[in-house]
Amino acid sequence: MEEIREIQKKYCSRAMFTAIFGGLFLILADHVSIGKGLILGTIFSSINFVLMGETLPKRLLQNQRNKAVMFSLGSIFVRYLILALPLLLAIKMEQFNLISVICGIFMVQLMILGEQFAKFFLKLRGKTV
Amino acid sequence: MSNDFQTWVNVAAYIGGGAAMGLGAIGAAIGEGYTAAYANSAISRSPNLSGEIFKSMLVGQAVAESASIFALVIAMVLLFTEFSSQSFLMIFVPLSAGLSIGFGAIGSGVGSGFPAGAACMGISRQPAMSAKLTTNMLIGSAVCQTPAIFALVTSFILLFTDFSSSPVSPTWAAILGAGLASGLGAIGSGLGGGLVAGASCDGIARQPKSATTVTNVMLLGQAVTQTTAIYGLLISFILMFKTFAPTDSIAAAMALLGAGLSIGIGAIGPGIGEGFTAQSAVSSIAKNQKATAEITRVMLVGQAVSESTGIYALVISLVLIFVI
Repeated sequence: MEEIREIQKKYCSRAMFTAIFGGLFLILADHVSIGKGLILGTIFSSINFVLMGETLPKRLLQNQRNKAVMFSLGSIFVRYLILALPLLLAIKMEQFNLISVICGIFMVQLMILGEQFAKFFLKLRGKTV
Repeated sequence: MSNDFQTWVNVAAYIGGGAAMGLGAIGAAIGEGYTAAYANSAISRSPNLSGEIFKSMLVGQAVAESASIFALVIAMVLLFTEFSSQSFLMIFVPLSAGLSIGFGAIGSGVGSGFPAGAACMGISRQPAMSAKLTTNMLIGSAVCQTPAIFALVTSFILLFTDFSSSPVSPTWAAILGAGLASGLGAIGSGLGGGLVAGASCDGIARQPKSATTVTNVMLLGQAVTQTTAIYGLLISFILMFKTFAPTDSIAAAMALLGAGLSIGIGAIGPGIGEGFTAQSAVSSIAKNQKATAEITRVMLVGQAVSESTGIYALVISLVLIFVI
């Protein structure tokens, strides 16, 4: 499943790059909890996306229906628990800003949508990405 | 007594958290399942394209899942935040916030599954159009998420606004009404937007040359389907930010709750109906590009007529808030 790994690598590395640079900038600007929250949320967003892709063939290519259902439910359960963790940390600890953790949790989705919207609008202007 | 009060606030937060995640998971699960079902059909049709189909399914599901992650965020905030128990109103705030995002995530979750499923099938038909289909799918899915974002915004405003200086009656009903208006109002628009985006992916796969026109009409059709969710958000904002005179009358409070229910429930049908109209228009334009102007006109007229029931609901909500 090289294609899936490639796409995971692309979006996760972009998300982490954005979060680390954004986070560092915020930390240097004395918004430490916001910067740390952004990085924390993005780490878990990337883990969720990687797990989503890794379990995809297992979910789809099962010969037995019961196994496919079990894998799907297990995958959703584990991934939601993983996403709940940074939120719990942000609620309980003042070192992490809750809103920036929430932004970080959606970083992979933002990268996916950002790329497609950029392509779409640049194409409308007659340019190519 | 203060302990009892805090207990009720906690009970409301737990019920709100449960409702947020429980209801919020419905849509995304259906949407993701729909996508996977079509991915299976697509792989069975073109097994050699499984990698490309997997890729499209993965990004499609990631976007469809956003709605339930919104619900997860609100559920976690409700379950683990210590809410103040200074006002009786604090019992209704977490409950309303949970219901808002719980209901609001249903339509967007299901709706986002339609373009993702159609894109998977489209790739199996037209592998050369894979990039265009993915772009169109993601743009369509992103628009589907907007009603859920409205519901999320309402939940956050409810949670972070200080209602302690407002009179308990009728503000308790306004708070509940606000959550219901925004949450229920998002269901139809999310589903309707998804129907349009699904049809556009299907149309592009069948008639690749029509891609640009189909995408543009899809965006126009989706924009109209989102209007009823905006009505819900509007009523929700009025209910949250208008200052109501204190009253002991239960009728005045029920009028505000009724206003939220009127636009919330009233927005479901038009959102889906407008989605059907635009879905058919997009499919027809893909088949016959020359008739784009005619079809678009009929689509807009049809959507306007379908929209009228949503406008009735909006008018009744405004009457309930400002007149009664």
